[in-house]
Amino acid sequence: MTLTLNHYLFVSGLLFAIGFAGVMLRRNIIIIFMCLELMLNAANLSLVAFSRFNLVNGLPNYNAQVLVFFIITVAAAEVAVGLAIIVALFRARQTTHVEDINSLKF
Amino acid sequence: MIPSLSLEITVLLLGILMLLVESFSRSDDKRGLAKMAIGILSALVGFSFFVDPASGNAFYAVDATAHFFKVLALLTTIVVLIMSLEYSSVLAKYLPGVTPGAGLGEFYSLPVFTCAGLMFMASAVDFLLIFVSLELVTISFYILVAYMRRHTASLEAGVKYLILGALSTGFLVYGITWIFGLTGETNLAAIQHALATKAVATTPLLFGLMLLLTGLGFKVAAVPFQLWVPDVYQGAPTPITAFLSVGSKAAGFVVLLRVLQPFLGVPGVGVKVLAVLALMAALTMLYGNLAALPQDNFKRLLAYSSIGHAGYLLVAVASVSDTKATFGSAGVAVAFYLAGYLLMTLLSFLVLIVVARHSRGDDILHFNGLAKRSPFLAFAMLTAMLSLAGVPFTAGFYGKLLVFAAAVQAGKFWLVGIGILTVAAGFYYYLRIVAAMYWQEPGDTTPITIAPLTRTAIGALTLAVFVFGICPQPILRQLKDGGVSAVQENAGKPPQSADGLRPWGV
Amino acid sequence: MSEYFPIFLQVVVAIGFAASALLVSVVLGKAAKTNKAKDSAYECGMPAEGGAQPRFSVKFYLVAMLFILFDIEIVFMYPWAVVFREHIAAHGPGIFWSMLSFAGVLTVGYVYAIMKGALDWKS
Repeated sequence: MTLTLNHYLFVSGLLFAIGFAGVMLRRNIIIIFMCLELMLNAANLSLVAFSRFNLVNGLPNYNAQVLVFFIITVAAAEVAVGLAIIVALFRARQTTHVEDINSLKF
Repeated sequence: MIPSLSLEITVLLLGILMLLVESFSRSDDKRGLAKMAIGILSALVGFSFFVDPASGNAFYAVDATAHFFKVLALLTTIVVLIMSLEYSSVLAKYLPGVTPGAGLGEFYSLPVFTCAGLMFMASAVDFLLIFVSLELVTISFYILVAYMRRHTASLEAGVKYLILGALSTGFLVYGITWIFGLTGETNLAAIQHALATKAVATTPLLFGLMLLLTGLGFKVAAVPFQLWVPDVYQGAPTPITAFLSVGSKAAGFVVLLRVLQPFLGVPGVGVKVLAVLALMAALTMLYGNLAALPQDNFKRLLAYSSIGHAGYLLVAVASVSDTKATFGSAGVAVAFYLAGYLLMTLLSFLVLIVVARHSRGDDILHFNGLAKRSPFLAFAMLTAMLSLAGVPFTAGFYGKLLVFAAAVQAGKFWLVGIGILTVAAGFYYYLRIVAAMYWQEPGDTTPITIAPLTRTAIGALTLAVFVFGICPQPILRQLKDGGVSAVQENAGKPPQSADGLRPWGV
Repeated sequence: MSEYFPIFLQVVVAIGFAASALLVSVVLGKAAKTNKAKDSAYECGMPAEGGAQPRFSVKFYLVAMLFILFDIEIVFMYPWAVVFREHIAAHGPGIFWSMLSFAGVLTVGYVYAIMKGALDWKS
């Protein structure tokens, strides 16, 4: 058995689904945040797979790999800002659970 | 003639300069920073008319659409900075700091960075640049929404916006991934070329597009992705709420217009995407306008109303047709509606900030008897509300007219029907504010003082709402001649260049 | 697929070793007594104070965040360094100035962090 594009896409789809399910079901903001990162990394995995399997003139398609770099950087920036906000919230409310974030009516 | 990119670079340098001045200055009064930014951004609005039309490249388009949305971004940022000056006393209360001005400098410089992101987005024609500029805007907004660290509502709004914004980014990126996988390109023109020349499987393409629409649906607050809007709008600092409702929406729609263009001509895909958009438009109009009816908090009311307006804009996006007339063109309708929406929304938030500062609250009852306390503010708010409701001779009326004309042109009569019903609902809640201002007795009768800069901005916006409503022809002619309508109408045609990689030269 | 066999083997050995070690301790070891004294951190001496997870100063998070932000930028410098020589020969020195401006923006961020006291451990 050789690994084909479909295998990678399947794993990436699974990662995306796990991430999305985590965002919907988990109650701890830090874990929700980790699940969000998982979704971005699912996209990264499939981008790299597409780049590797759809050769352009015998070389991988580097457009996708550059896009992956940018996604990693943006995710890091998002994490930095996100953790700062979560730490600020924790200092104000002593909680990281979404049920406790209810001072604004939904 | 100046290269177009120099506008964005100037804005970025301005932001960096403001951060450096903020970190080195010993002064507590940071208002000079904001005033400097307002001056430079105003100058850039002028400079933007002298842009070299040939200075684009494969990532970065220089066309009428880009110019139009750049001017919108600059004007919005200027008004937001004026609002921030007015709001700084409230802000200072909720910021921990050893000195009185601590943290205010960043509050003035972050909107400048957001503005740079919005301007890049107006020109972005490659998924790479679209993604990075969209994130520049979104991440700055995360910080700005959660800016008042001693105010629980602001922090909670920040966390909600953060999680749902990051979720929408995930969907957007995954959608981009699938479209890249099918076409092998990230450039929109190259994607269009690839779709026209290669056979591409329809189902995965639709899957990718739906993911993309989900991501963008969050940004423009379309039903069913609108859940974050009321809480975030209510909790965020008021100038940022205004920025979110105008800037974020304009950016979402310009990206939507650009991104959809390559796919509309693909058989079996374009029709389905437009059908989904039409359904979203109908639901968004209904939800926004009906949920606004029972609101008592003014910011929350404007949040629901902004969802409603996203619905009208989606009607225009869903009504692409191949007409060459100004009247009935979807691109012109979106651009004009957004411009009008910007004017009236910024006007109502500007008045709200002044009133809220004097009445210590932003509920509708705080507007009671405003006509007696300040006829000027009451008239400005009256203008904004009439325009938001869509009364003739205001910008809002003409915008809705163009949107519905586009829908009729595309044969979507049911959307027009729902639209007219929801406009009627809108009259009720917008006129509640007017009734409170003119027919209720004021709670306290102290006259309201307005800073000269704010007074000028309110006056200019009020005037502009009427100018857009009474004689819109010159503006429409600009949009038409500039080719804003061409954004959508050459959908399906192959790009100009043969290799499809560098359609804008360079 | 065959080139993945050693990795597969290693995974099996790793899981197998952990499982067998647990199994051996259950089979051969005495069942441990469990009571409150046994479960405490020290069986004799001072009673333990506080929880097992001490609270860290927020400074750690701040430094960690700054580290992430400045660390990630290297991701752009590697591909840049790989193509640097050929690109300069073919297209002129634009690539050099673009990286310099990128580093300049980073430096501004660094100066800002220092001036704001983010790296100041004492205060």
